[in-house]
Amino acid sequence: MTKTSGLALVAALVVALGGGWLARSRAEAPHHAVPPSADGNLVVGLCDGVTSAEVQGVKEGERLTRSQAQAVSDQLMEEWRRKNPQANWDDARAVHVAQAAQGGALEQSVPPPEGSRPGASIKFGGAGAAEGAREAAQTKQGGAPQGQTGGGAGGMPAGPQGPVQDGHTYGAFSQRDVDIWKAATDEFVAQGDRIFHSADLLGGTIGVSCDMCHPNAANTHPETYPKFQVQFGRVALLRDMINWCIENPVRGKPLPDDDFKLRALEAYILAQRRGVPLEYGKH
Amino acid sequence: MAWKSIETKHYEERDAFFRGLGRVSRRSFFKLAGVSAAAALAKGLVTPQSFQLVELAWAADDGGQAKPKFTFAYISDAHLYEQKLNDRFVRAILKAVDDVNALDPQPDFVLFGGDLAQLGQPKELTLGRDILKTVKAPVKMMVGEHDWFLDMGALWQQYFGPTHYSWDHKGVHFVTIMSVVEKDFWTARGMTPMQRMQTVAGLDNGVQSRFEVGEEGRKWLSDDLAKVDKATPVVVFSHSPLYKYYRPWNFWTDDADDVQAILRPFQHVTVIHGHTHQLLTNRIGNIQFHGMLSTAWPWPYAPEGLPKLTVQMNRADPFDQFDGCGDGAVDVLENGLANALYNLWDRNPITVKASYVASDGGQDRPPTTKLPSF
Amino acid sequence: MSRQTPRLAVLAGLIVALPFVSRADDASVPKLPLGISRTLYEVSVPKGAEPTPEKAALGDKLFNDKRLSVNDGVSCATCHDPQKGFVDHKPLAEGVAAPKERTKRNSPTVLNAMFNATQFWDGRAPSLEEQAKLPILNPIEMGQKTPDDVVAKVRKVPEYAQAFQKLNGREPTYDDIASAIAAFERTQMAGDSPFDRFIAGDEKAIDASAKRGWALFNGKGRCTNCHAFGTTSPLFSDQKFHNIGIAAHKTDFIGLARRATTIVRSGDLKQIDEVAIQSDLTELGRFLVTKQSNDIGAFKTPTLRNIAITGPYMHDGSMPTLWDVMDHYNKGGVPNPNLDGGMQRLGLTEAEIDDMVAFLATLTSDRFAAFGKHEMARQRGQKTKRPERDTDAAMGRKGNLGDLAPNPNLKNPAGIGVILPPKS
Repeated sequence: MTKTSGLALVAALVVALGGGWLARSRAEAPHHAVPPSADGNLVVGLCDGVTSAEVQGVKEGERLTRSQAQAVSDQLMEEWRRKNPQANWDDARAVHVAQAAQGGALEQSVPPPEGSRPGASIKFGGAGAAEGAREAAQTKQGGAPQGQTGGGAGGMPAGPQGPVQDGHTYGAFSQRDVDIWKAATDEFVAQGDRIFHSADLLGGTIGVSCDMCHPNAANTHPETYPKFQVQFGRVALLRDMINWCIENPVRGKPLPDDDFKLRALEAYILAQRRGVPLEYGKH
Repeated sequence: MAWKSIETKHYEERDAFFRGLGRVSRRSFFKLAGVSAAAALAKGLVTPQSFQLVELAWAADDGGQAKPKFTFAYISDAHLYEQKLNDRFVRAILKAVDDVNALDPQPDFVLFGGDLAQLGQPKELTLGRDILKTVKAPVKMMVGEHDWFLDMGALWQQYFGPTHYSWDHKGVHFVTIMSVVEKDFWTARGMTPMQRMQTVAGLDNGVQSRFEVGEEGRKWLSDDLAKVDKATPVVVFSHSPLYKYYRPWNFWTDDADDVQAILRPFQHVTVIHGHTHQLLTNRIGNIQFHGMLSTAWPWPYAPEGLPKLTVQMNRADPFDQFDGCGDGAVDVLENGLANALYNLWDRNPITVKASYVASDGGQDRPPTTKLPSF
Repeated sequence: MSRQTPRLAVLAGLIVALPFVSRADDASVPKLPLGISRTLYEVSVPKGAEPTPEKAALGDKLFNDKRLSVNDGVSCATCHDPQKGFVDHKPLAEGVAAPKERTKRNSPTVLNAMFNATQFWDGRAPSLEEQAKLPILNPIEMGQKTPDDVVAKVRKVPEYAQAFQKLNGREPTYDDIASAIAAFERTQMAGDSPFDRFIAGDEKAIDASAKRGWALFNGKGRCTNCHAFGTTSPLFSDQKFHNIGIAAHKTDFIGLARRATTIVRSGDLKQIDEVAIQSDLTELGRFLVTKQSNDIGAFKTPTLRNIAITGPYMHDGSMPTLWDVMDHYNKGGVPNPNLDGGMQRLGLTEAEIDDMVAFLATLTSDRFAAFGKHEMARQRGQKTKRPERDTDAAMGRKGNLGDLAPNPNLKNPAGIGVILPPKS
């Protein structure tokens, strides 16, 4: 979705809603009085009711070309962003997964909504994305006019960097997907949490549970595996050590490789160490 | 029921063996840590590789200021289950009892640092009480949260008396307080006593309230210390650290600032605390803090909040149930401060000296850790 | 114990560094027996110190030469008999002062000794060269008074004078003699055992009982923490020092330690050697070297390779058979104030003990296979005499000697950690 058509959509919505509202109370209707241009140039107002831009070289009443319209919209959006730094405007930025431990959620951009036109391949993300978007559009054989990709109510969201890639394979997942996936993962980790804290669930016979020596999985250092594990005199993976601990300090039966409990414990331990850099072999 | 560890039985067998050989020497069974001062100096025990006998501290020419006036020992955080469920923790506390019973000379008293039981069960407390009866020196008891929150201290107080008490010993004022009071978190949740106990027993669940001495406790402490001269050395026994180390694990006393304010007017204050199951050292103003080791298991160091004076003990080896655990002794010095001897099992002992703490780490630094926990 | 950690750190560092630091000249690493890893060789034999055939042959001769002793009666081979697994099969070594006076320690094997981080039961010698020098000068082992006496004797032998001249271009010194003996010892690698073939992929190399024993070794037996085995580090020893309570029931550790702190001069290798070999302070083990309370009564974990043919066992030779050794561990050792915290009762049944002994027997190198069979038969004959056995303690019916895990029921109980698959 281009900025202009997006803007147009929003403008249309505002008018539609505003119109209804206006119909109720014409007397209090806000009116965006765009400042007139000294040279009689076209002045375009933004839907926030305060921002406007003067278009040099185009007189009031003239039509703008596509590229001119795009440039004006870009300018208005930039101005609006500058005025509203905290605004939660969903634009088409690249998806990235949080590196640091910033709470639980994967940070996501809004992925393209359903029904986006396939084949649209606009570059997005980072500086100059708008440029890239225009470039990519230019290299397309025929197809959509410059800068335009999907359209209509179900078109791809557009941000300053351009629209987001779409598709049906994994890489084009949606926010709904993210929510479900996160819930499933956290559920699994929560199971591991339960087992980690319970001598009975671990199969321990002396009332010792993992959290007694490893509160919040402290000192488990899963990021250091594979490493030489002194307790068995050879190299080990995390799950080897989990099983060894179950057998020795916890006094239970080591779990088979395909046991749910072993995997859940592994999941819990790894989840507690989010953000810690991998450093295999570290002691 | 007579509580004798297998080690004690062997001591007795050896005693008989040597008596038979005409080479009997009571003094032979003593751990080197307990070698008395005069004997140590007479033998010229200054070889570079010898482990740091606490007594060697007085080799320094400081007019005898750093000479121990007297010593007390401690056993802490036993976390006993009933023996048929868990024999391991019983074995460990018996080892500690053997250690303190084998000291020569005997310490003036032995402090029990709290958490005698794991889940506050009558059987656990009774077991602990019976084992501690075999300690030769007089035992001073301190309560921990694992002892309290099943029946809110009913059985503990029946067995061991009041939670707050003080006494004077060789010119030092000792105070034992209860610092594991918690604001009610269980009634609103409709918890049974066992559920409450199990919640408190978990370090990292974040449900229980943070520890505090509480208003009553602080008032008691204030009143008690009001009668004490500000120049008298004060030693406080507390289960929680009486400072703020790591809140999520309740390595924490919520009203620490208030308690420290009560202690501030005194020239020499040492706090000996349990709960943290690790070698821990801190200084806040005039107060020096030494954590006690547990006999049952070691805690890792918290991800943040570790006092900068603490030189970590090495990471524990889970193969060895005793590694990272132990007992210890505290030498109360002529100058009123205290050296803490950590008798780490299966490792060389470590002494954290008052001079190290007082100099903010400038001198007498304990040996560095080779492998910290993380 | 702290003395060991720098070495271990170096070892670890080298193992990590090895992919990047390999021998430019591959010919310098001899062909290794099956089971001896290249890592172990490269860590143990410094580049440039690889034995040459001439030097090793010279060392061989010296090793077997009784003239090195004061009375021409004892050679290295007397206590380290090459035909008998490089040990003498006596509980305590006997040198020039025998039978009047025996040493206080059992002779360790030379097989794979080159891979030890330190030499002797208490690690008092840092290298094979330093080790070779001490028994020759010990009053009751080979009895020579000074290194000069030894050198004089060796120089008088034309064969040696010529050989050393050829080797070094000059007359031999005491260091040269030790160096030649060490070179010979560096050729005594011993792998090639049925167990090594099993690890290399031959499922039939060891029988079912030994396989069960191997599983127990990794699990219920609690062996791997000290007798570590991995394909990169196949020595069956962590090279650390542990007090496992041998002879603790008749040893007054504390009294001995108090005496030792005053008598023993740290750093004086000769004096420590004499104290260890000749006096009752021998039981202090590593403490004689470090004087750290953690080391009281602690002795080095020996390799288990060829264990069947290197009895009697332990630093004082007090365990005649492997069954006695198993009994000792099964009951949790003998309690004493410094007992290693890893020691605890194991709860092994007789069948499990038999399985573990069967496994240990598979660690015998092929060249000693016949002798190994003979030794195992002899030991098995003594199975009924079990003075160390204390089943009540092992099964937990008396004493507080540790808790046990329930028996594991995994498909492959030895499958913990990574054993590298055989190279295809």
